Amino acid sequence: MTCNVQNYVLLTNKIYTKRTQASNPERSRSLPSASSFRVVCAVEEQTSTSTSIALNRISMPLDMEISEEKKKKKSLGEVGGGKFGRYGGKYVPETLITCLAKLEAEFNLVLHDPDFQAELTMALRDYVGRETPLYFAKRLTNHYKDEYGEGPEIYIKREDLNHGGSHKMNNAIAQAMIAKRMGRTSVMASTGAGQHGVATAAACAKLSLKCTVFMGTTDMEKQSSNVLLMNLLGAEVKPVKGNFKDASSQAIREWVGSLETSYYLTGTVVGPHPCPSMVREFQSVIGKETRTQAMEKWGGKPDVLVACVGSGSNALGFFHEFVEDQDVRLIGVEAAGFGLDSGKHAATLARGEVGVYHGAMSYLLQDSEGQIQRPHSVGVGLEYPGVSPELSFLKDNGRAEFYTATDKEAIEAYERLCRLEGIFPALEAAHAFAYLEKLCPTLPNGTRVVVNCSGRGYKDAARVFDILGHPS
Amino acid sequence: MTVLFFQISSPVYFLHLCHGRDLRRHQLSVDPPRQVPHPILFPPLPFTPSSQQDCRPATFRPAGHKSRISSTLARESSPAPVQMEAEPTRLLRPDSFGRFGKFGGKYVPETLMHALSELESAFHALAVDEEFQKELSGILRDYVGRESPLYFAERLSEHYRRPNGEGSLVYLKREDLNHTGSHKINNAIGQALLAKRLGKKRIIAETGAGQHGVATATVCARFGLECIVYMGAQDMERQALNVFRMRLLGAEVRPVHSGTATLKDATSEAIRDWVTNVESTHYILGSVAGPHPYPMMVREFHAVIGKETRRQALEKWGGKPDILVACVGGGSNAMGLFHEFVGDEDVRLIGVEAAGFGLDSGKHAATLSKGEVGVLHGAMSYLLQDQDGQIIEPHSISAGLDYPGVGPEHSFLKDIGRAEYHSVTDEEALEAFKRVSRLEGIIPALETSHALAYLEKLCPDLPNGTKVVVNCSGRGDKDVHTAIKHLKV
Repeated sequence: MTCNVQNYVLLTNKIYTKRTQASNPERSRSLPSASSFRVVCAVEEQTSTSTSIALNRISMPLDMEISEEKKKKKSLGEVGGGKFGRYGGKYVPETLITCLAKLEAEFNLVLHDPDFQAELTMALRDYVGRETPLYFAKRLTNHYKDEYGEGPEIYIKREDLNHGGSHKMNNAIAQAMIAKRMGRTSVMASTGAGQHGVATAAACAKLSLKCTVFMGTTDMEKQSSNVLLMNLLGAEVKPVKGNFKDASSQAIREWVGSLETSYYLTGTVVGPHPCPSMVREFQSVIGKETRTQAMEKWGGKPDVLVACVGSGSNALGFFHEFVEDQDVRLIGVEAAGFGLDSGKHAATLARGEVGVYHGAMSYLLQDSEGQIQRPHSVGVGLEYPGVSPELSFLKDNGRAEFYTATDKEAIEAYERLCRLEGIFPALEAAHAFAYLEKLCPTLPNGTRVVVNCSGRGYKDAARVFDILGHPS
Repeated sequence: MTVLFFQISSPVYFLHLCHGRDLRRHQLSVDPPRQVPHPILFPPLPFTPSSQQDCRPATFRPAGHKSRISSTLARESSPAPVQMEAEPTRLLRPDSFGRFGKFGGKYVPETLMHALSELESAFHALAVDEEFQKELSGILRDYVGRESPLYFAERLSEHYRRPNGEGSLVYLKREDLNHTGSHKINNAIGQALLAKRLGKKRIIAETGAGQHGVATATVCARFGLECIVYMGAQDMERQALNVFRMRLLGAEVRPVHSGTATLKDATSEAIRDWVTNVESTHYILGSVAGPHPYPMMVREFHAVIGKETRRQALEKWGGKPDILVACVGGGSNAMGLFHEFVGDEDVRLIGVEAAGFGLDSGKHAATLSKGEVGVLHGAMSYLLQDQDGQIIEPHSISAGLDYPGVGPEHSFLKDIGRAEYHSVTDEEALEAFKRVSRLEGIIPALETSHALAYLEKLCPDLPNGTKVVVNCSGRGDKDVHTAIKHLKV
């Protein structure tokens, strides 16, 4: 096996060098010549690399043996190499392959390590504040009752009550613990809206890890309060010209330069395997709790689950537990921005096409030349041109349904939830609430709908104030 | 002695905010305790509801009798002095007149007396009402997110460890994780539910920085009650975003232009409204201050903090906390944590007030350190007053501690020596704000930072293994801009 990999790797490297010289003479100047490669344990250690090329798919993913355990995962679409049907995979340069393999090994270890699980459970309970309640929204339910007094029952999964104000902390604390376990001293992350950055900074502060967060300059302007929070928590916020996609490319670039000492903390269910699976596992606590709480409250399962979809972490964390329960409807709501036809939206599953982005194959918003389209949404956390490969798979096989909500509908939903329930949802989560307007009239009496309130929107009041231009 | 008079419509009574010092002649006698059934949520109360006992002050005049407050308070008969029991900690908290020793009471005009007795009876009735208790605990669990964790702050404890490896263990009671981000919601929910039971459809409140206003508007949205929040016009300008939030929640925010257009003027306006609309309206007071039964009621709604702490401490280390630390503005979060443990003599209770620019600067809010006894907002307590009995404008970097008075029960606990009260400056609080953010990834409210700052003085001398529980009463997202300005991070 080692011999084969070695040959394979060397072969690939030659192709790599040739292609870059042909396509981009300027970039090839920065690449080292073949003689500076050292082959260690069948994987090259390159002294420098240009990640933007690395993230453009050049090498094919490695075929791995499918073990018995992984064959069981076929029903969820997951097979060896982190593939969900044709989606997912590991479209990364060779330098990262070992790293990802190590990460996967560590992840498998912690999944079965009772000490780690006990420590994580305690952190989730005492630090993050789990379990989050499953709250019956009486006034919202009444709002959707028809003239006969019939309608669905609306429950809200309160991820807004987590420490940090969103579901992002579930993943951040678990991965920070893994980083510590692996002996890393520093953590890198990239963030769009800032929620993941804040969660990472908090988790690193708690575990005394050095934290560096990369954020696009346009995002930093819009989310200045999150930047302040990260600074207060002791993280260094490095500005990157552009927005989230540029920030994450830069973050990976810098990470590759210090693979032994630093850990790249992914915030969401995208990226090369094992990142999507890892993040999903850590977020799946949401769905697991919902199952237990639904059983306690009404002795059954939810009928419909609704969640907003940016890259998909809160949706997957919510849905994953129920994917095999065919009688539970799974609904994801993406951001339609100014409207699907305006060109200014972030509705990847509605309008995207299949391609490879950030190391995985999935739907993504690209134009006819394969250039990434810039997404827009009033919910900044939904502004991601890609989406989780697993969600792409669930869409294709019809297990989950995906719809969209415009900025206007999201803001209306925000105001509605404040007025009726005294809860400020994050503008991202407001998209899920917005879809209830279309969904509820179609549901039979007594249907139990659970909406994932993935974050709190106390801060978003400023944005809504600016948009509305007047106090409501 | 200067008095402030507020003209209100019929009946013609004046609300008297008396800032006098020499009020010893207003002490009333203490009745012997009476037992009531042991409620589920609330501890045994030492007195029966007013329907069964006349607990009005000796000089009560029948309704309709016109009177100027200054003479009401200048009692014609001199009451008997307070009879103190041999063991101070067994004193009734409060007694049948709503007094904690000599503090507390009901210094209000006659129009409000009935509303206050009605509130008191309703409160006692609901204390034994299983359905009410069940509804309240359901809402606290599903809406507020209780129970809040008792979190072991490992890095903070390490920070206080001495070179020889010994040190105390610091735990944080995470009230910052509650819905709306502070402990305030515990009381707002309880009072809103109580108001609903009383058939009141209208809720009023006053607010300074907006926190209590937002908490009140939140619960009113949840229960579908009409909500009016009084806010000083100056405060409204400074807190435009909080005004917007309250409006989003469906509340009406009424500006107050009188006086200095700040919190104390908003309070007076709110009380004026309540006196006028007492039949249909409930006044949600945000802290353990004000006339009886508010100090007791607010304390009882917050007592869940202390009850959970006892259970969690037993679970975690099989014992009780050794020391409880909490910040004190009006005193609600501190009372909520302390109340459960007041009877446990081996638990030290420490309240931390705001020393602002320093106790000697004159710009602080350290009522228990530098105040003198007087009557404010209907209760006798310590308050910051000058020689003429004028209220001294308090100062603290944290809006929630910026109150010239303090809950009467705190005044009582201080006087009998059951609790200790210290203070920390703005600067020390900011340092603690930064320290806890960096060490634990928890950004505490600036109010809470005062309690956390006191650990610097407390922890170095504690015996090894002492368990200190600090009430993390709120999260600091709202304070980020203030802190950054001062810390220049």
